[in-house]
Amino acid sequence: MAKAVKAAAKAVKSPHADAVRKAAKSPMLEIPEPKLNWMNNSRQWGVRVKPGKKGLTLGSLNVGIYGEIPMEWPDQTRNPRGAVGRKGMPPVGYMLRSKAEVWADSAADLYEEAIQRRWAPATDVPWHTVKPLSQELERAICQVSTELSQYANVEIEVISSWQHQMAYGYHEVKQYLATAGFDAARHYEVFRKRALINGGGLGLEGPGQVNRMILESRGGWTEAVVYLVLVRGLFAQTIVRYLEQYASNEAERFIYQNVLQDKARLLTYGVDHLKFAIAHGEDRKQVIATLLAIGDGLFIRDFNDPVLREALAIIFGGSIEGARRTGMDVYHDMMRSFMSTHLEYCRWLDVPRRVPERLAQYAPQA
Amino acid sequence: MSEAENLGVNDDLDLSWMDQTGPWDTRAEESRHGLTLADIQVGEYGQVPDESDNQTGRPRGAAARSGAYRIGNYAVRTKSEIWLDNACFLYEEALQRQWSSATDVPWHTIEPLPDDIEQAQCQMATFLTEVEFVAGDVPARWVSQTTPDFFEARQLLTAQVMDESRHMDVFRKRAMANGGGLMGATGATSGFVGSIDLSRDFTEMSARLHISGEGAVLTIFRMGELMAYNDAEKAMYRLCAQDEARHVAYGVMHMRYMAETAPERHEEINCYLDEAEAGILSGSANPAGQAPITSEPLAILLGGGVAKFDEGFKKLVALRRRQIQEYKKRVVSAGFGARFENGRSRINEILEQAAA
Repeated sequence: MAKAVKAAAKAVKSPHADAVRKAAKSPMLEIPEPKLNWMNNSRQWGVRVKPGKKGLTLGSLNVGIYGEIPMEWPDQTRNPRGAVGRKGMPPVGYMLRSKAEVWADSAADLYEEAIQRRWAPATDVPWHTVKPLSQELERAICQVSTELSQYANVEIEVISSWQHQMAYGYHEVKQYLATAGFDAARHYEVFRKRALINGGGLGLEGPGQVNRMILESRGGWTEAVVYLVLVRGLFAQTIVRYLEQYASNEAERFIYQNVLQDKARLLTYGVDHLKFAIAHGEDRKQVIATLLAIGDGLFIRDFNDPVLREALAIIFGGSIEGARRTGMDVYHDMMRSFMSTHLEYCRWLDVPRRVPERLAQYAPQA
Repeated sequence: MSEAENLGVNDDLDLSWMDQTGPWDTRAEESRHGLTLADIQVGEYGQVPDESDNQTGRPRGAAARSGAYRIGNYAVRTKSEIWLDNACFLYEEALQRQWSSATDVPWHTIEPLPDDIEQAQCQMATFLTEVEFVAGDVPARWVSQTTPDFFEARQLLTAQVMDESRHMDVFRKRAMANGGGLMGATGATSGFVGSIDLSRDFTEMSARLHISGEGAVLTIFRMGELMAYNDAEKAMYRLCAQDEARHVAYGVMHMRYMAETAPERHEEINCYLDEAEAGILSGSANPAGQAPITSEPLAILLGGGVAKFDEGFKKLVALRRRQIQEYKKRVVSAGFGARFENGRSRINEILEQAAA
């Protein structure tokens, strides 16, 4: 726990409170009689959730009526699930009010895990281990950092544009997504920091077709998840997994390992949600298959752009010459790994998948 | 033969991208707080445009690609609309001061309380569970509408969403930890005209959320020891107060930036403050306000039970006065103190109503 947090948790006296204590001693003219009509107004009283070995977790609160999570949540106010709602309140305007549109059983656990595994790029990354690299390697790392920062930007924008549209009854998902948005912000920051610390700078922005595809998936959150998690998220995770193996120093290794942990949570939420959506929506499976088929075209266009491919190959090969010799082979291996995992997830979700020729070369042979 | 050639992929390297970069030879250096966002404001990378024409989501300072797709129809592209000068500092502080409601609150210190106190605590916790995430939902919406050229401010808003999520859950946890449960919702953050949710402009939203709403709640959290009955509750209020102080600082610093850079908006901002002042005690978003569903449980907690309601009510009135004094200080600090001298503000009349 950070020092400041520890101090706040233990502090004893506050000068603010003392001031109120003193001020309260002055005489008052009239004190109203309390109505107390809010008392004894509970749907379930006598709840006593005890902390377990992971503390008092969000998921452990789902007891009795508080754990009843209906398939539809028509209430458009911020009435907490299980509280007594107030009638006649104008709606806030939540668009996503069906459990099938947002839910994943793992959300509460992922939320707590995200908090436990928090890290700070400023102080947790051993930046002092970054040493001067060859120009070509530094340029490649900076280029990849630029594109990964931009990927994180899309993640921030997509998550934050959907999160506030989700009904309050599914608070576990909203809360998990708060951590996912915060993770993405940290990724945006850490890759920028890496690009600017070692005599380099930012590189060329990405081509943006997949970015647009993700941002344009306005039909629903589930559709956004297909692109954000099953396509881009998994692709980014595969890149970072390979980068971790070819890190130039401890700082990079730390960054990639921690980003991977964060991304694994988003992937878990995403796949879990898609499974839930498919189980509760007649045509969801086909919709997802159609989206993936359309997405392939745009993904291939991004993938045809040589910039990221070449930069990764230079990192994997250690130099331009190394890229020609072995780096490009590692890149193709990485693509095979991505396609193989992607298709495994599709099979697990039972989503029919026809892989286009350009990507089929990376698909495992039947 | 390379494996790639077997796959029929053209692996000839083009490498022209190596010459297309942002400013090169950049070497940010760690300061005593690590490598902070402030430390990477080096050269052109630290230059924030007054107007952003970035429609592709390009990281600020990266080389533009002529064929890049436009992805961001960002509503916030003018710096003064969202900026604050200490965003980097506040964001790094937020990262350092993250805490866990599951493990950093000593839940084992909670012991059974008299029923009236437990009911009051649970009613307050229900209210705070209800209202805390308005400050998550609404900033999230603005994050998605803000150009990444102003990413420092956006990062801080993302941290706020995270903080509010934790506040929503810590109060839910409190309501269920000690033989109580959730009680009645107030509807305080429903879709009323003039509500935080329905703000059409970021500064308008910030005045309603950061300056007025969170400012009032911050005063209450700072008084946590007066209404806490065990170390768990004390820790909960103190940790929330740390977070809330950052959010209020966002509002104050943003308004100050506005005051300095957008004089043409002064009158408009004064209108937002008029509105905020009018609702400071009468609105239901302030738990120390005049709505009995929150003011009564607060008085019971402050006094020590229903039987000591009078004593608690006196403290509640003192707390309201303190809320108003702190509000005044923030507005002065934000550069709008003239309203307290030129007769525009009604805050003194409102202060007189604090005992009602």
